[in-house]
Amino acid sequence: MGDAAIISTVFLETIGYWWVIIPTIFLGLIVGGIPGFSAANTIIILMPLTLAMDLQMGLVFMVSLYCAARMGAGIPAILVNIPGTAGAAATPLDGYPMTKQGRGQQALAISFVASSLGGLLTTIIAIAAMPLLARVGFYMHSVEMIVVMLFGISLIASIAAQDMLKGLIAGFFGLMLGAIGTDVVYATPRGTMGFLELYDGVPLIPALVGLFAVSEAFIIIEKRVILTKKGQEAMENPSWAATFEGVRDALTRWTHICWTSVIGLIIGVIPGAGASIASFVAYQQSRTFSKTPEKYGTGHIEGLVAPESANNGVTSGTLVPLLVLGIPGGATAAIMLVVMQYHGVSFGPSLFQQDPKVGYGMFIAMAVSYFLMILTIIPLSRYMSRVTTVPTIYLAPMIISFTLVGAFVPREYMFDMYLALAFGVVGYIARRTGYHVAAILIGVILGPLLETYFLRALKKSEGDIMVLFSSTLGNILWVALVVSLVLPIVFERRRKKKEIVIQ
Amino acid sequence: MADDPNRAPKHLGADLVIPVLAVIFTLYYFSTIWNSPWTAQVSAFAIGGVLLFICALYFIKVAGQFKRGEGRFTFTSLINFEDIRTGRVALLVTTIGFCWFIDELGFTLTTFLFLWTSMAILGAFKRLGLVTIVSAVLALGGWAVFILAFDTRFPRGWFEETMKVVMANG
Repeated sequence: MGDAAIISTVFLETIGYWWVIIPTIFLGLIVGGIPGFSAANTIIILMPLTLAMDLQMGLVFMVSLYCAARMGAGIPAILVNIPGTAGAAATPLDGYPMTKQGRGQQALAISFVASSLGGLLTTIIAIAAMPLLARVGFYMHSVEMIVVMLFGISLIASIAAQDMLKGLIAGFFGLMLGAIGTDVVYATPRGTMGFLELYDGVPLIPALVGLFAVSEAFIIIEKRVILTKKGQEAMENPSWAATFEGVRDALTRWTHICWTSVIGLIIGVIPGAGASIASFVAYQQSRTFSKTPEKYGTGHIEGLVAPESANNGVTSGTLVPLLVLGIPGGATAAIMLVVMQYHGVSFGPSLFQQDPKVGYGMFIAMAVSYFLMILTIIPLSRYMSRVTTVPTIYLAPMIISFTLVGAFVPREYMFDMYLALAFGVVGYIARRTGYHVAAILIGVILGPLLETYFLRALKKSEGDIMVLFSSTLGNILWVALVVSLVLPIVFERRRKKKEIVIQ
Repeated sequence: MADDPNRAPKHLGADLVIPVLAVIFTLYYFSTIWNSPWTAQVSAFAIGGVLLFICALYFIKVAGQFKRGEGRFTFTSLINFEDIRTGRVALLVTTIGFCWFIDELGFTLTTFLFLWTSMAILGAFKRLGLVTIVSAVLALGGWAVFILAFDTRFPRGWFEETMKVVMANG
């Protein structure tokens, strides 16, 4: 049977599992939306159920849950400024301002369309370009990864456009906090303040919960509801028109969805990189090449489209090294690997010769899930956006209790709840004094990764710092990084010149 | 500028809290790696060095603003009477209590008590019936979804253990 025939057979079989996919989508939206309850955790919790299913159904279930959870993480990020996972941490930069303006319904619709189309498109690209994409992982060594990290860190400068020094302080403070823990070579404890719980580094979920959720809860109680006065008026009569407006806004930016989701796909292919880096890089690149970079952070549609397309582009990317090389690209992919091995499927280059239905099946399941998500989730944006009208006296305690306990779940340490509270206090101070919490979080995420790759590069070169400029691909990426930092300045100058000429 | 009478002066003291925290933490971090192998030091010294430099620049900038009379050394933007009036300080206290008691009382009971107390304080002790219903529904809903349905390892206490026995005995 040829590849096309196998793909069409698998497609029809996967469509037949609609009754598994649709409830799983809703489950994924819920677990993705609550910090601490990732798709990986849920698949682990439901492992006995997954193992009891036949191979294809188990595969469809896991893939649908994974995709829906990725999308679900954006919902609280847009509505209440609390990303469900670190992969959605760039979403509230423009999503939440839209909500405050009473455009929460449009923002959700934009997010759903961008996520679904981004995920669908990258799945199709992944199927077509699998052999080529699989090689990306081979070319990305420590030097190249350092430059990719720096792309993410350069977002700090973008966020800090209003006050560069404050932005940089927040970002580098985050990097220092991210460096807490034992060093990777000799396991020397560093900056742990004597807490054994910090020897493995700063756990990401408590940092995310504290910086975004707890601090936000303490801020929002100043007002009766989180919406502005104009926003309240807009939300008084929610209509389908607002949802369609959001869908239209997203569809008219289809090129933006395409290229930012491809950023997600490529970063997703790199083992260990993940959605958080992809969404920040995509946001930063989107801002760089925008004609209106000054609008980013104020509720700009492209600023919402970019991270949402990218973090869903990652979902198909993480499957590529898993299927082709047998290397899981992230936690969820690793759990999928375990479940599939239980069913006797061996991954690696021979998978598409020996078990093509499984290989293609995972991508087809992803494509079908994204397609069904478009149909099932978009209508919900009208109702979900009503969350923003809940009075803050109820909303703030709800946010605190459910997210703090979410901080406890991944490691089951009571310490993590106190850590989230401490990050909450830091986040509150940061928000009240004009330091961006997203910049701190970028630092916490990238700090340990940057150190790992930096040390690896220095070890290989016996301490020669010039190793950072020793590879062709690395040098190309360096040039791209410099260009992406310089271009906004050039565009800004041109814009100002034009304004002067017009005046 | 300082000459503009309509422009409110900046609260420079509050603006300095994060940089001061950053400097203290960086110096403490350096003290923990001072005698460590170079692999433990190189990245931290590079990042920490940049952070100290940026903070120094910021301190100079703030000193300049203070000298020009553009701001005052106050913390009003960070903490003021409004924090007590809006219930923010009380919410912080109940949040600390939530973290403290959840290990002893378990998720459901602590969540109910936290939600009830916080909502009652923030709502100035009005509509207590609604507050009680909302708190109970949320706490029981959380228990049903996370503990009963998903068997998530939330902190367990008297309520969870009692319900476990009740469920086991039909």
